Amino acid sequence: MSVSVSAAPAVSPAPPAPRLTRRSPYPGWFFTPAAIVYSVLFLAPTFASLYFSLTRWTLFDSEFIGFENFAQFFREPFLIKGLINTVIYAVVTSGLKVVLGLLLAVMLTSQIVARGYLRSVVFFPVLVSTVGVGITFTVLMHPTQGMINETLAMFGIAGPGWLTDPNLALYSVALVDVWKGVGLATVIYIAGLVVIPRDYYEAARIDGATPWQNFWYVTLPLCRPATSTVITLSFIGGLRTFDLIWAMTKGGPGFASDTIASVIYKQYQAGFYGLSTAGNVVLFILIALLVVPLTMILNRKQGHE
Amino acid sequence: MAGLELKQLLKSYGNVEVIKGIDLTIEHGEFVVFVGPSGCGKSTLLRMIAGLEDITGGELVIGDRVVNAVEPRDRGIAMVFQSYALYPHMTVYDNVGFGLKLARTPKDVRDQKIREAARILQMEHLLDRKPSQLSGGQRQRVAIGRAIVRKPEVFLFDEPLSNLDAALRVDMRMEISRLHNDLGATMIYVTHDQVEAMTLADKIVVLDGGVVQQVGAPIELYQRPANLFVAGFIGSPKMNFVEAGVDKVVGDSVTVSGPDVAGVPVAIPAGRLRPGDRLTLGVRPHDLVVAPSGTIVGRVGLVERLGNETIVNLELPSGASWLAVLEGDQILRRGDSLALDVDPGKALLFDKSGQAVN
Repeated sequence: MSVSVSAAPAVSPAPPAPRLTRRSPYPGWFFTPAAIVYSVLFLAPTFASLYFSLTRWTLFDSEFIGFENFAQFFREPFLIKGLINTVIYAVVTSGLKVVLGLLLAVMLTSQIVARGYLRSVVFFPVLVSTVGVGITFTVLMHPTQGMINETLAMFGIAGPGWLTDPNLALYSVALVDVWKGVGLATVIYIAGLVVIPRDYYEAARIDGATPWQNFWYVTLPLCRPATSTVITLSFIGGLRTFDLIWAMTKGGPGFASDTIASVIYKQYQAGFYGLSTAGNVVLFILIALLVVPLTMILNRKQGHE
Repeated sequence: MAGLELKQLLKSYGNVEVIKGIDLTIEHGEFVVFVGPSGCGKSTLLRMIAGLEDITGGELVIGDRVVNAVEPRDRGIAMVFQSYALYPHMTVYDNVGFGLKLARTPKDVRDQKIREAARILQMEHLLDRKPSQLSGGQRQRVAIGRAIVRKPEVFLFDEPLSNLDAALRVDMRMEISRLHNDLGATMIYVTHDQVEAMTLADKIVVLDGGVVQQVGAPIELYQRPANLFVAGFIGSPKMNFVEAGVDKVVGDSVTVSGPDVAGVPVAIPAGRLRPGDRLTLGVRPHDLVVAPSGTIVGRVGLVERLGNETIVNLELPSGASWLAVLEGDQILRRGDSLALDVDPGKALLFDKSGQAVN
């Protein structure tokens, strides 16, 4: 019996070679709503502000004046003061948030009584309105009738003018900022600390590490990612600060606690729209110049897996 | 160097007892392996010796000191962790020297000890690297190096090879064995891998449910397991078991029969055994041989031909299934009837309570 071989099945065309780039499983138009919102609310104002910073602008009319706004910005002594204050404020607040946040997190991850409750207490100020906090502390820090100075007076200490002393006002506001923001730093640190494997501490314990050595050689280096996050977030937050300063001192006394943001706001209130926009561009460049190298240093690979 | 003595050692978490009164003597210089299934308490026991877990009751003696309340660093021990616990931000050099640094050992002495440990472990070329730049085996070496520099009296290993691939595990096993010979230190090693236990140990401690099931030399545990648990746990593939009754007792030989076995002779002094007693017969897969008139008859199931040996899954009449490891390449077909025999000297009997009948 012969076996007939049927005609070879039609060879289907070879499938196209798979593309090397991985295609997104979602259609391209999915991102359109986000792109529109982002363009209208972020990109357009950014580029518009770049343009308006080069003009004399009255909201209805603008006249191109080149870099005149920037030149004027840097000529004003109180604007320079605002610039310096901004950097001081950012360094002080982020520095204190790192130190206090880490210490609180170490405490709140150890075996202490009422740990959950204490964690809530530390985080609570983060949830409160900044303006509310500002007003409350303004009352508390009143030079004669504030609770802080009254308490100090009970111990025979003459409290300073927290918000009225030009040398102190900025630091007083910074302290309130730290009080309000340290909860977030603590939560970030707690997240960073609980992922450190227990083996490291046990190995160190067998090697005879004291609690301080444990902290210095194990905890501190291994929570570096959390430190980077806290520094970056609080430093940027410090550079942009406005609401707390405005609620507590409005940049005063005089210009003693002005930051760039409050100066820009004052210029804006006074109708110098072009000048205030130039201030915003300066703030943007300042943040970029400080934060980009900072994050590069912080995120440098440290042999972590 | 020092020996250890565990006297009625107890550990409980609340009402849950995990270590239920362990008595054990470990001689100075001995290599002891704690082996058992997951959750048997072997790691907890090791951590109690290390001082990482509190001792609920009993006494732990290292050398000639009771160390129940002594801090880990003062117990004269060093531990190698399953995860290696190498600090990712430190170089190998700093990792190995970390304990010495904490103890404020002078820099030149520290350097000399680190280099000595690196030489012993043949890792001098790795000293400047970070742990992330090392392979699994190299990390393991560093972890051992960190233990060596402390010159401990007792080395503790907590499943140190379980993160390595099979080939590397064999190499590291030999390495640890060599290290034990070279250093002559007391070593306690925890594993769930009975091959590691058999190859490394001077003495194996089999644990189950927080209780010591048997202590003995590897080959003793293999040949003379104390109970059903040890018999089933030690040896690979597992020992075959089947219910059987005593047929007759003649001098130093007992013949047993059951639904799946017909008149299997077992060379055991009869002792208190009487015809009709119910027992469990245990036979290792390697002790079965093909014999046309064999006492164990079944149907061939799955066959694995490995060249040097053939592993046969034998389905017995009662539905139970036995494994037989037959020498050489046996050509067997699924469904064939196969009769096997066992050397009377190698079959084991266990009484109703699971204890071996000797």
